[in-house]
Amino acid sequence: MNQTRLRLSIIGVVVIAVFSAMFARLWYLQIAQGSEYVAQAESNSYRTLQEAPLRGRILDVKGKVLADSRIANVITIDRGIDPEQQKIVVGRLSELLAVPSKTLESRLADQRVSPYAPVPVAVDVPIEALTFVSEHSEDFPGVNAEPMAIRRYPNGSLASHLLGYTGEINEDELAARPTSAKYGLGEDIGKEGIELTYESTLRGTPGKEEFQVDASGNVLRSVRRVAPKVGHDVQLTIDLDIQRVAESALADAMASARTRRDITRADKFINLKAGAGSVVVIDVTDGSVVALASNPTFDPNEFINGIPTVRWKALNDPVNNYPLLDRAIAGQYAPGSTFKLVTAVAGLRSGMITPNSTVEDTGKYKISEQTFTNSNSEPFGRISLQRALTVSSDVYFYTIGGSLWSKQRRNESGGDVIQETARLYGFGRATGIALPNEAAGRVPDSAWKQRIHDARPDAFPYPDWLPGDNVQLAVGQGDSLATPLQIAMAYQAFASGGRLSTPRLVSRILDSKGRLNRENPAVEVGRVPVPGRDTMLAGFGGVVGSSTGTAFGAFGSYPQTPPSVGGKTGTAQVAGKQNTSLFVGFTPIQNPRYVVSVVVEEGGYGAETAAPIARAIFEALNGLPVGPVASLAYEGGN
Amino acid sequence: MATIAPVSTVMSNRKARFQSSPFRHLDPFLIIPVLIMNVLSLVMIYSSTKGKATLRGEAAFGDPFYYVKRQALFVMLGLIIMAVTILIDYRRLREWALGIYLLTVAMLAFVLTPLGSSVNGSQARFALGPFAIQPSEFAKFSVILMAAAYAAVHRGDMDVRRVLVVLGIAAIPLALVMLQPDLGTALVIGTIIIAVLGVAGVKARHLAVLALIGVTGAVVAINVGVLEQYQVDRLTAFLDQNGDTQRSTYNLEQSKTAIGNGGLTGQGLFKGTQTSLGHVPEQHTDFIFTAVGEELGFLGAALLLSLFGLVVWRSWRTAAVSNDFFGALLCVGVVAMFSFQVFENVGMTMGIMPITGIPLPFLSYGGSSAFVSFACVGLVANVSMRRFS
Repeated sequence: MNQTRLRLSIIGVVVIAVFSAMFARLWYLQIAQGSEYVAQAESNSYRTLQEAPLRGRILDVKGKVLADSRIANVITIDRGIDPEQQKIVVGRLSELLAVPSKTLESRLADQRVSPYAPVPVAVDVPIEALTFVSEHSEDFPGVNAEPMAIRRYPNGSLASHLLGYTGEINEDELAARPTSAKYGLGEDIGKEGIELTYESTLRGTPGKEEFQVDASGNVLRSVRRVAPKVGHDVQLTIDLDIQRVAESALADAMASARTRRDITRADKFINLKAGAGSVVVIDVTDGSVVALASNPTFDPNEFINGIPTVRWKALNDPVNNYPLLDRAIAGQYAPGSTFKLVTAVAGLRSGMITPNSTVEDTGKYKISEQTFTNSNSEPFGRISLQRALTVSSDVYFYTIGGSLWSKQRRNESGGDVIQETARLYGFGRATGIALPNEAAGRVPDSAWKQRIHDARPDAFPYPDWLPGDNVQLAVGQGDSLATPLQIAMAYQAFASGGRLSTPRLVSRILDSKGRLNRENPAVEVGRVPVPGRDTMLAGFGGVVGSSTGTAFGAFGSYPQTPPSVGGKTGTAQVAGKQNTSLFVGFTPIQNPRYVVSVVVEEGGYGAETAAPIARAIFEALNGLPVGPVASLAYEGGN
Repeated sequence: MATIAPVSTVMSNRKARFQSSPFRHLDPFLIIPVLIMNVLSLVMIYSSTKGKATLRGEAAFGDPFYYVKRQALFVMLGLIIMAVTILIDYRRLREWALGIYLLTVAMLAFVLTPLGSSVNGSQARFALGPFAIQPSEFAKFSVILMAAAYAAVHRGDMDVRRVLVVLGIAAIPLALVMLQPDLGTALVIGTIIIAVLGVAGVKARHLAVLALIGVTGAVVAINVGVLEQYQVDRLTAFLDQNGDTQRSTYNLEQSKTAIGNGGLTGQGLFKGTQTSLGHVPEQHTDFIFTAVGEELGFLGAALLLSLFGLVVWRSWRTAAVSNDFFGALLCVGVVAMFSFQVFENVGMTMGIMPITGIPLPFLSYGGSSAFVSFACVGLVANVSMRRFS
């Protein structure tokens, strides 16, 4: 019996131990660690859903809508459902919406929509279909019908490069934005253009709604809701009417150029390619951008809800000349004769020339056993600065470049006055326009040449700044590179009497009720010297108005009554390519209000393709009827 | 005086009859905790299943009291079963032990035939009208009865052969239960038989050999990979048919969160978010303790554990004071069964025991479990009140 008691006691001890363990664990979970589990339970039963705000609009200077958002009825499919079910659902939707299954499937397979976000497969669904889907939800698992904000660009491809487009945020963009911005997966973000640079203004403030949910994630009730705030409107300095004229003139002239022979070719059997070009229109008074066009172009509406892969590839295909590239700010070209503005100012500043001093132009210029010629070696005789600009004498500017090189050679100061002046006028660095991916261009000098030689001696065997380098620089050839916007801003600085500005693209920010939120004032970067301005303006006027002017033919139809125009043609040679056609001008000559800069790649002479485009834009700027635009036969001069 | 005498005679007769009746010794500290626990059970089952009334496709759709009503019926039947178990002198049960045992084995075999139904990957029950009978629950009772009946005869003389017979008594239902498979019940039967063997007077060295065989068997099983795979399947099968191991750790986290969320005084009855929002799986059955923990807090959960402690203590005490060895062994079996089931069930909800499908006696929703638990308490009360006769 004693033994039984002993054995029973052992069992009793085991039972006491087991119960003690349970009490101890219970104490640990509920008292010692309790607060952690309370927090866990809290987060378990509440979900916060972020509501994306309605994006602000982009307006032109007169308030015309360039981009807005509308609410559309969208049907989405959750990728999480199993493939068998998905197939059935797609089949049912296809029948309901009268859209082929293949279309729905290809949207569903779109890799650019994040795997977590429901994929929008149909936009602008008729209300009957929406009702049907929501009433038969058990037949459409994973399908949601919801109102969704859809970005809209009512003018299609018009101003597409500067507007940019929006798209679903990707992981890099998510990581780049501060956490405080609270971007959610699947949310749209500005990808290019103003949509990107003014993202934080346009986006608005996301709202959120807190729900209590059950274990399966089913929403039981809404606990708290903070409504999203609509984004601000961004009003641009762009004038949609001028923009439209600029784009169509550019497109027309390019199309016309493609039908004409490249007359610089010995065989003359090859047409001009004229595959790309751009236009910049600047308001001289404050540096505001009136128009900014680039061709080829694209329709930003294509990017809404994900652009089809085929289209994305096409937009990035070299054969199509990279339509997404904004050439007005990112295209870099030898400025050619348009650069003579800088060389002339440099010559005057350094005292090398005066407004009245003359040069004997024999059509040829010789320095260090090297001979440089005018276009077609045409001699202009004894010419002054004004006439040199009008007829576009190269020899006149070669002489300045050559003499300055000699100065450098003698180690005298002021030998690099062309480069110095170019930099003063804004070349060689980004202008700071409120657009992404602006190019800086290049102002070549001896230090630059030494640098590239050191980096790649095999590709650049000559480390020295040679006379030819300085002579070429003087006429905007050689290694000079400038963007159409830089050229425009340099002429704006000159035309305004010396105020170099940052191009102003946004005039003001408005709140969602149309009230002014803030002005975006013009920014003056600094003053530039404008010696001999009147003489040069007369020279630029002659380019258009004088029968010997290089663009006289192109402006033949332009009325010679005020407001008059002036400008400068440019024909830049590019190794392995046809000439770049350039024109930059302003109106009116005496007190310029607008600067227009046009560049057409492989467009031939400046007077051939670029000048007629500028003419049409001047007509529009001055309220004149806009005549037809066509590439013209070359009449001499560059 | 004359008028008083008959009255006093009647009184003393009644008193005498009562004093001689075994019901005079019915243990209130055994029965009352059980009644309290069953009331608590109905409340907690309501709390953890009322949400199912809104779920389409649930049996309880449209009726928040669906599970409570069914459980109330089980409790009624359970009370009757307890009463019957108390009324029949346990010494007579000894004669019926073999019959009950064989009937249970037959039922366990029957459930494995296609006539049994498979729920959550476990072939453990067969239908009886609108209810499902789970023979493995009854197997616990039968094993206690049979093992106690056999071992009591050979008190103090448990040679190898007799030890093997006792092991055999457990082995047959245990093997059938493992075939379902139902690891939890198999463990309960194993624990019962070890406790009964221990008290029945098995020699220390036999127990040592048994332990050695057990450990070796476990090591071999794990190394061969059979047990490991089986356990994984088992763990996930009863919780969620589509489950994976990640899912079962998720369940454990939810379970611990619910208990931890209770704190000292609980979230309040019907106010636990983990409970009312359905975060804890199988909450009205195997995880009912989490509802108690969340809504009634440490005070409520500790009180519940104390009630179990009281039942186990009264059962243990009955074993100690029983006037025959059969009664003592019956009580030892019940002590082992309740202790292990409470420890395994409560332990798994708190993450100190592996997850296996064992109901919490008197608390978990389910008829078979309730019937057997009541029967076992009846058995102890029976032994307790007849200790003087």
